[in-house]
This record gives sequence, structure tokens and C-alpha cells, in this order.
Amino acid sequence: MPQQLAIIVLVDIANALEMKTLEGNTYLFDNMKLHGSEGEGTGELVTAIHGSYWRDGSQATEQVLNWLPYSLGSIPPTVPRGYEAERARQTDRQALTELESMVAKPGSQGTPEATLTQIQQTIGTRVKTTKRTRGPAGQKVLDVTGNVISYDGAAAHSYPPPVITDVYGEAVDKKIMYPAEYGSPDMVTDGWYWSATVDSTRPGTYTYTMAIQLHRLLLQGGDWMWEPVDLTCDSKLRITSEPKRNAFTKSGLGLLPIPPA
Amino acid sequence: MPPRAKTRENGRAPISITAVLDAVGALAAGTVRGQLYMYDTNKAGGSTGFGTEELRTRVRAGDRVLWNCLALECEAFVGIAGIDIDRSVIEPERQVYPGTDVAYWIGTVKKDDIDVVPYKIHFLVGTRAEPITTTLSPTLVG
Repeated sequence: MPQQLAIIVLVDIANALEMKTLEGNTYLFDNMKLHGSEGEGTGELVTAIHGSYWRDGSQATEQVLNWLPYSLGSIPPTVPRGYEAERARQTDRQALTELESMVAKPGSQGTPEATLTQIQQTIGTRVKTTKRTRGPAGQKVLDVTGNVISYDGAAAHSYPPPVITDVYGEAVDKKIMYPAEYGSPDMVTDGWYWSATVDSTRPGTYTYTMAIQLHRLLLQGGDWMWEPVDLTCDSKLRITSEPKRNAFTKSGLGLLPIPPA
Repeated sequence: MPPRAKTRENGRAPISITAVLDAVGALAAGTVRGQLYMYDTNKAGGSTGFGTEELRTRVRAGDRVLWNCLALECEAFVGIAGIDIDRSVIEPERQVYPGTDVAYWIGTVKKDDIDVVPYKIHFLVGTRAEPITTTLSPTLVG
């Protein structure tokens, strides 16, 4: 049994927002297919957890789960951390350079109107952040290739990754797993991730629910904002457990720990 | 200030195709068969075969199609080395997200009524020198 198990939650955000449900728009994966997980790449994942116990019945190995939410068809999670904010800064600097060269050499790049239009395109569309919405901060609207766009409400744009805001349900109520959100220097999840430890001493299949927040671009008071949309998605854990056995040679295959002679 | 310019070529959403690859499984097996899950963002437009190696992506002339990939384990590296497809239909080119070395492949569908156009993806996996190629064919369908 591995110590850490990653569960990827891949969401077709545009479709989920359109249909107002994650059902049919979420694809779940873990890296336990060889250990018997079922429904890989579908919305019906059953995660296999192989537990083991000591001679006295207590839990012998730990299982940690980590959830990684990704946005299907958006800028991938493999770009550097804070990429969207960095793109906003890069394009601001580029627009300033263009403005400086317009002031320094007026008329060198066509009419002032044409130059200003060009600079407007370089700047793109900023997304306003408020304390209430807590959406992705300091960003601009990017298309799926990482370029800023002048957003008019119709253009295609990249979505920020989904955010898990809670993990609850049967597996938590029955104290099968203990989930919590942690801060970390993890490059993939921008510093926050949900993780859980699992009690593998009680075999069975247990459901759990993830509360997932998506963000929709919305025009409010003349500013574009990421409006949070809260949806839920279910999944299952199937826990098995077997006794921890001795594997040292010449000591038999008895249960561990070996009692004192 | 002049009115904000609108980028018209972005009016229609590009169709993103995402290949999720079990990098460890593919390296162990030497093939992506059974280790690859493909998706696109055109389910509403009629794409089918989600989560399989035979994704059928519905396209029209003028659609931009973008391919990228994700590793099942976040520590593993996967990438696309090339895409073999009928170049009279689409010519995917390798590009990078600005300011990074993270690549994607993108092209524009040249014509309608393409019927069924199969293609192959060559994947870079981990530190293996030779790309691993799809054995079952995903397709673009008209």
C-alpha cells in the first residue's frame, strides 16, 4: 500500500456551468488501477484502499489521500505557479513599453488612435477581485493559449482550476477518513490542497461528497468578476484489509509482530 | 479613449483535447494502451468516446483544435512529441504557453464534411528517449 494516493478531479467547467451540475462533467482518476480501483476516468470512481492490520487488530499501515482538482481544456496545471498573475504583470509591462515608445517617437507606429487600440489589446481585460468573491486575484482574462484577451462576454477564455471547499459524507461521518485542507509549497495546487488520512481497519465501501467551487466570468457594475458557483460531486472508497505477515526468511509467515519467545 | 478592440478570432471557442496519461503505467507496459484517457470540450457539440483512447471529437471548418496532456501523477512528465493526421484537414503545430516551456499543439480545421479522420499522438513519457505512440486511434469527425 502506498503512503500517498492522488485523486485527480478533472472538471469540464464550461459544460458544468451551463448545465449547473458536475454530474456527467467530472472525470475522476487515482493511481490505484492496478490495485483494483474501478471507474478510472469516469464520474463513478471507486478508489481501492488496501489496508493491513497487526496481530492485535490495530491498523498497520497508513493511507493518505490527496485531491487535485483540474480544469479540462484550460491552461494546464503544469505551467509555473501563479502563472495567471504573472501574465497580468508581463502584459502590463509590455503595454507600458508600448506607451513609452509612443510618447518618445510619436507617429512612428501609425496614428495615435491605432497605437492606443494596440495598447488596449496588449492590456486585455482585468478581472476585479473583492473580498466577498475571493476569486483568483490580480488576474486578467486569458484565452486557453495563455494570451490576454479583450473580453466582450462572448469570447472563449480559460477557467481557473476548480476549488475543493469541503469533503464530507458517509466516509467522514463514520470516521473512515479525516479530511482537511492544508497549506503547502506544492507547485501544482498553488499552495492549498485537501488531504485525508484513512482508517483502513473497517473494510467496506463508503461514499463521500466533495463541495467544489467553479468560477464564472460575470459583468458587475462595469467590471468583470469571477463569480463563485458551488456544486457537489460524489465518489467512493472501497477499503479492504488483511493481516500484516512476516516476510523475513526462516521465520515463517506468521502474523506480525512476532510475539516474544 | 477609443472603444476596446475585440479579438474576433476568439469568438468561437477552440476545442481543447486533453489526453490524461498514466505515465508510470505507460512506462511499465511500454505502450499507452489501457493507460490513456482522452477528453475534449465539445461534448455539447456531439463529441463522444470520453475517457477512452478512441475519443471522437466533432469539428467544423474553421474550428481551432488544441491538444495538450496531463500526467496522472503530478510529479511525472508527459508531453506530446507529434501528431500524425491528414494534413489536408488540419496541420497541428507545437506552441508554448507564453513565458514557459510548457507546450501544446494547435491547428485549424480546413474543411467541412471530413467524415472520420483518425490520428496518432506520439507521447513523451518521463525520461524515456523514444516517444510512445497511440495504438488505438482517436478521431476528428465532421
